[in-house]
Amino acid sequence: MRLGLVVDLDTCVGCHGCATACKQWNTSGTIGPLSDKDPYGRNPNGAWLNRIRTYEVDDSPNSKTVHMPMSCMHCDDAACVTVCPTGASYKRSEDGIVLVDQDKCMGCNLCSWACPYGARELDPQEGTMKKCTLCVDRIYDEKLPEDERKPACVMTCPTKSRVFGDFDDPNSEVSKLVRERAGKQLLPELGYNPVNTYLPPRNKPVVEQYQPVSLKDTVKGWVNKVISR
Amino acid sequence: MHPAFSVLVFTVMSGAGYGLITLMVLGHMSGFAPQESGVLIGGGVLALVMITVGLLSSTLHLANPKNAWRSFSRFKTSWLSREAVFAVLFYPFTLIYLLGVWLQGADVGTFVALCGVVSSVLAMVTLFCTSMIYASLKTIRQWNSSLTPVNYIALGLMSGSLLLAAVQAIVAGELAGVQLQMAMGLLVLGAVVKVVYLFWIGKPAGSTINTATGFTQASVRLLDQGHTSNGFLNNEFGYTVEANKLVRLRLLMLALAFVVPFLLLLAASSALTVIAALLVIAGLLVERWLFFAEARHVVRLFHGDQRT
Amino acid sequence: MTSQANLIPVNSGLPEFENRDKQETKYTTCYMCACRCGIKVTVEDNKVRFIQGNPNHPVNKGVLCAKGNSGIMKQYSPAKLSSPLLRKPGTERGAGEFEEISWEQALDMLEKRLSHIRATDPKKLAYFTGRDQMQALTGMWASQFGTINWAAHGGFCSVNMAAGGLYTMGHAFWEFGDPDWENTKYFLMWGVAEDHASNPIKLGLKRLKERGAKFVSVNPVRTGYQAIADEWVAIRPGTDGILALSMVHVLLKNQLVDEEFLIRYTNSAQLVVNTPGQKGDGLFYRAGGETPQVWDQVTEAYADANRPDVSPALFGEYTAPDGTPLRTAMSIMLEKYMDDEYSPEVAAKECGVAAEDIERIALEMAHVAFKETITVDVEWTDWAGRKQDKFIGRPVSMHAMRGISAHSNGFQTCRAIHMLQVLLGTIDCPGGHLAKPPFPKHIPPGIKPAKEMAPNTPLKSPPLGFPTCPEDLAIDADGKPLRIDKAYSWDAPISCHGLMHMVISNAVKGDPYKIDTLMLFMANMAWNSSMNTEQTLEMLCAKEDDGEYKIPFIVCSDAFNSEMVAYSDLVLPDTTYLERYDTISMLDRPISEPHAACDSVRIPVIKPDRNVVSWQEVMVEMAGRLGFPAFTTGEGERKYDDYKDFIVNFEKEPGIGFLAGYRGENGDKSLRGEPNPRQWEAYEENEGFFEFELGMNQRYMRHANRDYLELAKEAGWIGNTDQIVIELYSEKLQTFRLAGQGLYDGPMPTEEHHKERLVKYFDPLPIYYMPLEEQRIDRDEYPYHAVNQRPMFMYHSWDSQNAWLRQIMNQNYLYMNRIAAERDGIKDMSWVWVESHNGKIRAQVKLMEGTNEQTVWTWNAIGKRGGAWGLSEDANESTDGFLMNHLISELLPQKGDETDRVTNSDPITGQAAWYDLRVKITPAAEGETGSWPQFGPLKPQPNAKPSPDMLSYTSHKNVNILRSLSDILTRGEK
Repeated sequence: MRLGLVVDLDTCVGCHGCATACKQWNTSGTIGPLSDKDPYGRNPNGAWLNRIRTYEVDDSPNSKTVHMPMSCMHCDDAACVTVCPTGASYKRSEDGIVLVDQDKCMGCNLCSWACPYGARELDPQEGTMKKCTLCVDRIYDEKLPEDERKPACVMTCPTKSRVFGDFDDPNSEVSKLVRERAGKQLLPELGYNPVNTYLPPRNKPVVEQYQPVSLKDTVKGWVNKVISR
Repeated sequence: MHPAFSVLVFTVMSGAGYGLITLMVLGHMSGFAPQESGVLIGGGVLALVMITVGLLSSTLHLANPKNAWRSFSRFKTSWLSREAVFAVLFYPFTLIYLLGVWLQGADVGTFVALCGVVSSVLAMVTLFCTSMIYASLKTIRQWNSSLTPVNYIALGLMSGSLLLAAVQAIVAGELAGVQLQMAMGLLVLGAVVKVVYLFWIGKPAGSTINTATGFTQASVRLLDQGHTSNGFLNNEFGYTVEANKLVRLRLLMLALAFVVPFLLLLAASSALTVIAALLVIAGLLVERWLFFAEARHVVRLFHGDQRT
Repeated sequence: MTSQANLIPVNSGLPEFENRDKQETKYTTCYMCACRCGIKVTVEDNKVRFIQGNPNHPVNKGVLCAKGNSGIMKQYSPAKLSSPLLRKPGTERGAGEFEEISWEQALDMLEKRLSHIRATDPKKLAYFTGRDQMQALTGMWASQFGTINWAAHGGFCSVNMAAGGLYTMGHAFWEFGDPDWENTKYFLMWGVAEDHASNPIKLGLKRLKERGAKFVSVNPVRTGYQAIADEWVAIRPGTDGILALSMVHVLLKNQLVDEEFLIRYTNSAQLVVNTPGQKGDGLFYRAGGETPQVWDQVTEAYADANRPDVSPALFGEYTAPDGTPLRTAMSIMLEKYMDDEYSPEVAAKECGVAAEDIERIALEMAHVAFKETITVDVEWTDWAGRKQDKFIGRPVSMHAMRGISAHSNGFQTCRAIHMLQVLLGTIDCPGGHLAKPPFPKHIPPGIKPAKEMAPNTPLKSPPLGFPTCPEDLAIDADGKPLRIDKAYSWDAPISCHGLMHMVISNAVKGDPYKIDTLMLFMANMAWNSSMNTEQTLEMLCAKEDDGEYKIPFIVCSDAFNSEMVAYSDLVLPDTTYLERYDTISMLDRPISEPHAACDSVRIPVIKPDRNVVSWQEVMVEMAGRLGFPAFTTGEGERKYDDYKDFIVNFEKEPGIGFLAGYRGENGDKSLRGEPNPRQWEAYEENEGFFEFELGMNQRYMRHANRDYLELAKEAGWIGNTDQIVIELYSEKLQTFRLAGQGLYDGPMPTEEHHKERLVKYFDPLPIYYMPLEEQRIDRDEYPYHAVNQRPMFMYHSWDSQNAWLRQIMNQNYLYMNRIAAERDGIKDMSWVWVESHNGKIRAQVKLMEGTNEQTVWTWNAIGKRGGAWGLSEDANESTDGFLMNHLISELLPQKGDETDRVTNSDPITGQAAWYDLRVKITPAAEGETGSWPQFGPLKPQPNAKPSPDMLSYTSHKNVNILRSLSDILTRGEK
């Protein structure tokens, strides 16, 4: 099983809902707390597991704005795990989720250096590395209602631009989306084989124009029809 | 990459220490170099001090040092873990070797000699592991090259050779020609290796903002990184050096670490050799600072850099 | 995919899950914007574990935005007020020196002051509220008090949209209507910043995209929703009216209008008197009776327009028996809009959208409306009792908001957009623009604004209503305004939401009169809720010669130490949204969806740890103390113990109260029924909301759907079951225009500028005119439009200043088009001076592609004052963030004429015209950095806990993953 996310760049409006949902779930969750330095002061800087970046593609007037939420890609070849000296970072063989044991991390930052996606942030208070857990403490917790056993970001996304599922299952929604929408990985050339996949913006729908019959130049061109109220 | 001072000190000091012990033991065993036990003890202690200071310094950059002991756990995969394991393994062999020299003088027995050889091998292996921590990162193209271990080992041996010459000068009161020639040779080698490295990282290559975002058909500009104040990723990876400053620092580094020490060694003076050794250490601190500052992590692409 | 739990065995490396035994989930309603999403809050030990969207809720269906997800940081803000505050005697307003007092003292003080005002001159109390959601209560309170000086923030938010819709089709965009997200095939979005509404639009856009519908967005700025549009139309601000009317031109030229729809459901066929320069011109011909007339083509005679059995002529000129020349409203429209003035070529020059694009979009919409028609095969009964076998849907829909609303031509622009929708026959049909109960209403709703006041006497009608003719204005015999904000005066006759933005300015000037007490709730008038903030701060502190403040007493209720707190004399600390009882009432602006009437409540999920009382509780308490008739028995005894009791037992008319659900003694009646003593519990059991689904036959064409109209009358939403006839032609506006022309039998303005405004802008048909600020400034000197919007993660929120959201944004930039900036020599990230006719600011520039070249813009209300909201003095919001408000005047640009005193607002509705702003931009000198002006830090509230340097919020000790050493050592390398 390879669990991960599909993010639809065609519909993400960049609302940051996923980012704050993630923050609030996980600060009390297994990876938590997610601390914030100078939360009310100058240059506040906290640990977040999900960041939304906005790009403009192409030049005016043909440009397009794209919002790109990014979190851990749960790579098949997760160098962040390979480089970890303490074993705090590990990839679950059962489902591919990459996790960090908070009581084993020594805060050397090496895993964040090994990650090309900026998915790991050091907690300014705890001194340990924080990252997306795919809400492992939601998806397997049988005390939660079954339809809530998904990552907090996926549950909250107002444009449903985030889909969670098993990329190993060819019939899963994520696999179908990747096939149908030509899903893309980021930085494929680095060879990390990220699981999370991005769906590029779609082609514009083509709408026909009404074919004019005859143009009316004056009011006189209109003829009353008998239409009852 | 943000140049963390503790890491600069660690890599330079321990590199020089490992270089020193390696060259010293090999010299001792092969009989090419002078065989005074005072120099061996002095050099050995200096190397241990530098390595130990370096290792202690390296723990300063740990945000959660109470778990540092766990860094031995993942020897199987992690170069950092391997570095830690070898760094620790190095100590008993080196201590036995030095104790042997202290007790038996320069003419040591087989066991002590064996420990010496093992110690010098472990020194190089540790240094290699250190370099592989950086060289193994595909995220930083300036590091992800065999030039990185070559640099680390060449520069470690180079600085070690100057230290060895300096120790010889201080303890024995006179220079040894072999050591001097070796130091000068390693200075030339180190300079060549470094210049090759600098040329190599200057070549445009690697990932771009287009491959990072997946939009490869048109220009891509960052509009918003998602937070207005800098975060961990900006602080860690967003380090930028002004182009002018970069040129000046590179010249300073080449002068301090290679050119001036070489010229000083030409004078074959004990005092100038000590100064040359100190300059090399200073020069390598600049070199290491640049090694970090010029390394451009791919995360920067997501923050708006066009290429790495 | 839903759960993983049943797929794989729980294995090593899973966390020991947190203990949920002590956790409970409670349902309430979010309160950070106007969406009012249902939330499910997990609480443990009176601490919030998690706030999530309620999946069963009709508004948000389980999703939640960035604000909603940051509620924890709002709840635990260090800026929370904890006790009533009184400005320290001898200290100045604005200094922020307060002493804590008890609630008893605070309420006694307020009671004494208010009871004196009420007994002497009730209008001396001006009571204005911000983005609150309890206007049914606060309006009723003001009405019972007897002051007409009440309004909420609609005057600078969306009155143009509300009025534009309510005076045209009886519902409107946003709160009163929605696109039919499930069926629409072509969606045109006008001027929607990242706002209005939040989650429902996001959910809707996703549905559109899933179905492959086309989404076109008209907006000078491309962020948020625009980013995912299939087509971005980068219009010049303030010119949407000409774009819409030019599309009308294209449709008419091609005869692409839904004639059946126009004849059956609109007043297009009604006959209009055509006697220019004479009394009665432009009014409907009534043949001496009450009812407008049409020309029946079958009987070839005049007939009452509202009869079902006529076949009216849609076009033509006629002569009444008395010789009066007549023509149909549609004929006037044809003549007007087929003129070259509205041709795409002419419009393109004004709005910057290419003529081909204007024509193409109009023809695309026509194609979808007329060639891709859909039907819903449900039998329904029309207003005249005739059975219809299906609903015909023309699946083109639109949504419009701020970018239309906040211009001084917004009302007419909004009507122009509605005209486009109506001509295409897309109103309340499948795939079109759907009304949300209790809308549609008759046009306009039958409430007239109160104007008479007397001591200790409630008003005869609510302070705000819908004028239909000059007689309805709140002016005295001399034509002078009766209200402090000059609403319903000749300055802004149809200002149905009041003009909150004028209150401070007018009260300080004593124009039209002075007041005693200004009472504010949830309105940050000392900062981002005022136009012209810098001068507003001076006005709030302005004194008479005798040393008394010009506004003698300012009361504010706020949950947080906002900028307004420092400028108040008495501060009443409110609860947070998680600590209060509240209603989102059917009497106000409920949370209905097109297919269901819905309302909801807030129920406390957290016990307050401070000495705070919710404002509605204060309202009910004060109403009892002041002896308002509706709140006391004949003997003067209080009727209601508290807010909850009031909500359950108050009846506006028999069976109709604040909450429409679970009524009747047993809680089994919906919409109308006797009070239910267990109503709150019923709401609580039903996750905090009530949803009444309409029958399939009641879901469309509700303006003419008998089954719906009968239900609406029963529910008290409308007064009768007559057809709601869509008014493309507004006779109501024409009465005002006649008054301006001096041709009206009734009140008429005396000042020339008023006459001019009425004649020019009160066109009975939608028109485009250049925004007023632009008309009065030198456009070459101020070459850029300057607009602002709130980012989605702070949208519509007066208090989203919190530790998480401010990390996303704590500094706003002035965004400019890259090409325009390069032309002007403005560099990316450089500091610039931005100057308007009213003042200047310094701001940092960021260049981007997705902005109209003649437009600059910023994120609003990011700039804060140091010290406010628990922020440090050097917080980025204060040193680098800025407000554009300083540049915007509440009055029109000064030219030394009589118009100088007139509000910078829509001349019809009084909507604050804060999008009309024009600016020039010059680079700041070397070394000039940081935002300007600066005002110095505010003080924290008394006994404030210092804001922490480090925050690690958790609701319990984190249950981290615990793996064995062997697992660590043996876990295989991939």
